[in-house]
Amino acid sequence: MKTRNIKKNTPRRACAPAPQRGTAGAIVLAALALPGVWLAPAHAQAPEKGVIAIKHLHYQDSQPGLKRITVNAPSVYVLAPIGSAWAVEGSLVVDSVSGATPRWQSAVSSASVQKEQRTAGDVKITRYFDRSSYAVGVSHSTENDYTSTALSLNGSWSTADNNTTWNIGVASSDDVIKPTSGAVNNPPGTQRKRSTELLLGLTQALSANDLVQVNFTLSSGEGFYSDPYKLLDERPDSRKQAAGLVRWNHHFDGDGSTLRSGYRYYRDSYGIKAHSVQFDWVKPVGPDLMLTPLVRYYSQNAARFYVAPELDANGQIVIPTAAPGGLNSGDHRLSSFGAVTVGLKADYQLTPDWSVDGKFEAYEQRGDWQLGGKGTKGLDPFKATFVQFGARYRF
Amino acid sequence: MGALENVAARKAAEDIGFQFSAMACDCEVRIAGMSRRKAEPLAKLAIAEVQRIEAKFSRYRAASVVSRINAAAGSGRGVEVDAETAHLLDFAATLYASSDGLFDATSGTLRKAWDFKAGRLPEAAQIDALLPLVGWQHVRWRDGRIELPIAGMELDFGGFGKEYAADRAATLLQQQGLRYGMVNLGGDIRLVGPRPDGQPWGMGIQHPRDESRLLATLALGSGALATSGDYERCFDVDGVRYCHVLNPRTGWPVQAWRSVSVVAPACLAAGALTTVAMLKGDAALEFLAGQGVGYLAVDAAGHVHHHATDVVMA
Repeated sequence: MKTRNIKKNTPRRACAPAPQRGTAGAIVLAALALPGVWLAPAHAQAPEKGVIAIKHLHYQDSQPGLKRITVNAPSVYVLAPIGSAWAVEGSLVVDSVSGATPRWQSAVSSASVQKEQRTAGDVKITRYFDRSSYAVGVSHSTENDYTSTALSLNGSWSTADNNTTWNIGVASSDDVIKPTSGAVNNPPGTQRKRSTELLLGLTQALSANDLVQVNFTLSSGEGFYSDPYKLLDERPDSRKQAAGLVRWNHHFDGDGSTLRSGYRYYRDSYGIKAHSVQFDWVKPVGPDLMLTPLVRYYSQNAARFYVAPELDANGQIVIPTAAPGGLNSGDHRLSSFGAVTVGLKADYQLTPDWSVDGKFEAYEQRGDWQLGGKGTKGLDPFKATFVQFGARYRF
Repeated sequence: MGALENVAARKAAEDIGFQFSAMACDCEVRIAGMSRRKAEPLAKLAIAEVQRIEAKFSRYRAASVVSRINAAAGSGRGVEVDAETAHLLDFAATLYASSDGLFDATSGTLRKAWDFKAGRLPEAAQIDALLPLVGWQHVRWRDGRIELPIAGMELDFGGFGKEYAADRAATLLQQQGLRYGMVNLGGDIRLVGPRPDGQPWGMGIQHPRDESRLLATLALGSGALATSGDYERCFDVDGVRYCHVLNPRTGWPVQAWRSVSVVAPACLAAGALTTVAMLKGDAALEFLAGQGVGYLAVDAAGHVHHHATDVVMA
């Protein structure tokens, strides 16, 4: 025995140097670059074990005095390694939606009841090499009036020290919309929507405890974007979107927790600009339980053609006048608002292969929470809750 | 929440050591903050990984990759190797280049002249006969094929194989979700994580001249610690210490340091750096500082030098 470890309570903090670039010498970097020597945070490696997970999501949204949409969505996810260099992933989800259609404005009191089911599935195949991986994925979803099919290609490349990873992805989707008889919006008949998305990402390990990621996505689509079930919903027939995302994960050696912070900027050709910030803190509580509280703030300005609700002197709704064929929409998601999400996730490890998890998130959207205080007036607060339970098994 | 924490605290109090023998050393996988029922399969996994690496790279195993490469020395044939072996050979090349040729994975053949058990000084002629067989610069290592061009040349992963195994086993445990514990292969230690209360472990460094005493204790919560010393496989003749760390250029043992301990993120780096430091003589401390690692070194006069490690002298 050259070095002996003894159990001795020392009051000081750990002092192992983090493998920082610039200070670490060639031998240290070469050692860390060997596969399996260091849990490389930035580099995706072929999974050694398969995973099967089932989850059930319950979603409920509401406005004061009215419960609106309820979604129940059971899902199953399977990840299966094939050999040491391939992996196949697939998931299937069935959403059952019931409840009132979203109110056009909070001042409208009629609410037709709807019940719908959506089935969505995807399959992705990934080939892993020493320092790169390539994936191809397809996804498909159907509901009675909407079918969507998408294809995606992704590539990821890491540097020799595994501290830097580049990601490039392209995706293309083709949606077919067949409005049912309830459609009030023209034109009737089958409509299509096609879009293409490009993603460029960089993940950089700054130290053993800090990981930074920057992502840019651009997407461009053409086709039918309007809501066929809403009166007075006439949107542009193309949409261009761009988003930039910066994430920073910091791991604390002391308690083994990780703080994940993120900021996202978004803008599109509707004239919407949005900012969001999010923090979640992954905190181990004892050896088997992981608690993750999260908070997210989101703010956007309204789309150029968004029509805010107007009330007359008696408090009655005034139907906005829109030129025939002119663009307009009263969808609250296109209004100017701020939104806050708070949530808590718990993961409990039953055995090394079995774990269960539960998640609760509460979302609230208000016009006067908009950044800068120029939110849409006259919209009732919109609230939603997400409750999800799941179990995972590794094989 | 209170009850929850109590349960957690009770479970966290468990700290289980799984002892085993590998690579001619006493080894231990220490798993903390987990019940024995869950810890056992993890320990088995880690031990199996150490045994896999020993079987694959030990020069004492006829079926190992290293034995195959050595058996082909001087035959003019290269031996094709797999990706893992290739990574280790690349690492050996880096060690050679970054140590100005002092760390040489082909220097193991010098052991034929040095019998530390018998404690006999070799004849100069014996060493002179072996020196032409030492030299990484002779090795043909390219495109996944390695060839030792001279019959009698030997490759030896002894300078980093054990350390690599400690890292691999610890990383495997981390991948399985273990957060607290360590892998200790004969004193080459890689931590999985700190103690379950988040505090660092107290690591003892053996006194180089008194086996029963600790020289110092250092606090370590992550990363690795390795020690190389002149007190391991050695003998004294006329008051001069001859130890197992041999200079590949002269074929003779180093004498500048009694022991060198290095704290680095990976055991592979820590272990290799202790050996290079022993070989570097007076330039050792400057070299270690250049690698950005913490160290505790005892020079030939018994003076202790340390840098950037949380050391408490015993």
